[in-house]
Amino acid sequence: MNWRYRMTLLFFLLVFGLIICRLFYWQVVRAQELSAIGQAQYDRQVTTIAQRGEIKTSDGFSIAADKLAYLVYANPKVVKDKDEESDTLGKLLDIKSATISALLSRDKFWVPLKVNVDNSVKEKIEAKKIPGVGFQDETVRFYPEAPMAASLLGFVGKDENGGNKGYFGLEGYYDRQLRGKDGTSIVVHDAAGQPILAKMNDSTMKVDGRSLLLHIDRRIQFLLDNELKNGIAKYGAQNGMAIVMDPKTGGVLAMSSFPSFDPRSFQNYNESLYKNPLISFAYEPGSTFKPIVMAAAMNEGLVKPETQCDICAGPVKIGSYDIKTWDDKYFPNISMTDIIVHSDNTGMVYTGRKLGMTKMLSYFDKFGIGDSTGIDLQGEVYPSLRPESEWYPIDQATATFGQGLTVTPIDLITAFTAIANSGQRMEPHVVAAVQTPDGQTIPIPPKKLDQPISPQTAKVMTEIMVKAVNDGESSWTRIKGYRIAGKTGTAQIPVEGHYDPNKTIASFIGFAPADDPKFLMLVVLNRPSTSIYGAETAAPIFFDAAKNILNYYGIPADPSDE
Amino acid sequence: MKKPILILSLLGCIIVVLALVRITLVNSISTNGIKLVDIQNQIGAYKKQNELLKEKYLMAAAYTSISAKAESLGFVPVKSQVDLSAPMPLARAQ
Repeated sequence: MNWRYRMTLLFFLLVFGLIICRLFYWQVVRAQELSAIGQAQYDRQVTTIAQRGEIKTSDGFSIAADKLAYLVYANPKVVKDKDEESDTLGKLLDIKSATISALLSRDKFWVPLKVNVDNSVKEKIEAKKIPGVGFQDETVRFYPEAPMAASLLGFVGKDENGGNKGYFGLEGYYDRQLRGKDGTSIVVHDAAGQPILAKMNDSTMKVDGRSLLLHIDRRIQFLLDNELKNGIAKYGAQNGMAIVMDPKTGGVLAMSSFPSFDPRSFQNYNESLYKNPLISFAYEPGSTFKPIVMAAAMNEGLVKPETQCDICAGPVKIGSYDIKTWDDKYFPNISMTDIIVHSDNTGMVYTGRKLGMTKMLSYFDKFGIGDSTGIDLQGEVYPSLRPESEWYPIDQATATFGQGLTVTPIDLITAFTAIANSGQRMEPHVVAAVQTPDGQTIPIPPKKLDQPISPQTAKVMTEIMVKAVNDGESSWTRIKGYRIAGKTGTAQIPVEGHYDPNKTIASFIGFAPADDPKFLMLVVLNRPSTSIYGAETAAPIFFDAAKNILNYYGIPADPSDE
Repeated sequence: MKKPILILSLLGCIIVVLALVRITLVNSISTNGIKLVDIQNQIGAYKKQNELLKEKYLMAAAYTSISAKAESLGFVPVKSQVDLSAPMPLARAQ
């Protein structure tokens, strides 16, 4: 009995030992794997894609939003008459039927035919009831006003993981805000595959992207686009750009440049067009820079509007260089006001000498020249200024009339906010507020960058610039009945160590109404061919656009000014 | 001796009642998955419809398309302005 008892006990111990070992193997060694297999039988992980935020103009209109599109696919093994279906699909999808035919002859169960197909096309294909053809929902970026403001908006392309990513302009700068965060949901289902209501949960919540409410006024943007496009064609310019800003807040009301691209089909355009020239095109500003230097000298009390220039009777010699006026006409004892009105280079050399190198560079710094403006757009370029030790007398002389130093259009217009806004230089901003998915609006308040000149100096400079419009070279195109402050610019272009006499950058900068500015505008034309002068090319575009903007704002003309 | 029998029968009844309630509840929610799929499909359809209508609205309200339509209908931009605040140009000094 004893040995039988022991054998039985041993047998049971062995069996229990084996069971324990097996349980250990299942519950400890392969626990995670088996748990995952088990979970897969009743739940499914679903990625919920966050909706990209919209970009809205100041009137709340979405100029960039997501829209529903479709990927059209086919199962070649199900499609019966491949030649006939290839012809039908080719016509509807606007693809060569030979391409479709090649795809349908593949030995596969799934082939993509076309992405980004509109609902109208999808409905037409559905009506044909072609067997083996299906649709997969996808979200694409939609620009209803395209190509309007393309360089301002940028576009949405793909990142290295195939996800959506914004590039250039607002889409690029605010990509993280706009894109939101994708979520993961776990849907538990029963044996029949139906989801179980109580067991559905979001393990990680998706967060939709935030929307941007812009300072951009859609009406001003539309009319500026038209005026600039027509102007570039009329004056035969290589390219052109224009910007309208509210000088009191720094809010960008419109931004336009041509040639441009269409964000809906950005891949069909040259990459050089993606850059926004208003923030990346560095050029010598020419005479549009003169009011900055003059304002600095006046703010220092070194000159007054009636101060006379005693070196302006002829060309000014600096080293081996002769500084001449643009038309080789000279006005002895010309006043500071008339220096700006007649855009006299020799007068500006006089002003620069009064100001001195150190103070001039200090004012450039206060006006933000050579520094980033802080605009909320991707791709801003800011050509830095040389240190004072590298400036020679000829450099200082040419800088007074905007040659020999480079700025970007956004740099220049931001500097001019100081003159138009009682001496306060404002930070340029395109986005006025950010809207969260739950409807909360977070405003971005205007930001004062500096106060380079006093309100009195700003007022005096405004009067001088009003006189420049009324009596200067661009007076032929001015709008009668309005006090508009402005300045023309005709900058020569440096080519291989010298200035090309026949190629210029023509520009005009100004603000209106001069006494209570509602907008500040800069128009720049690169290499106009009908005339090289800003007064004959950029100025008419400026005044045509200004007239429309003044009408739009409902600002009446003064009938006494005829 | 009677009390334990009473308690045991009461407990047995409770167990039976709870089992019946559970069976009823399970039966009543067992088809909710189908309803859920229906509701989700409806939500999806409405969302799609909403997106398509929004796209149509944005396209129709875009200045670029309004301008193109106006041009095709023969409208031309107004170049002059009418200023009602200005005096009427009658008997004006030359």
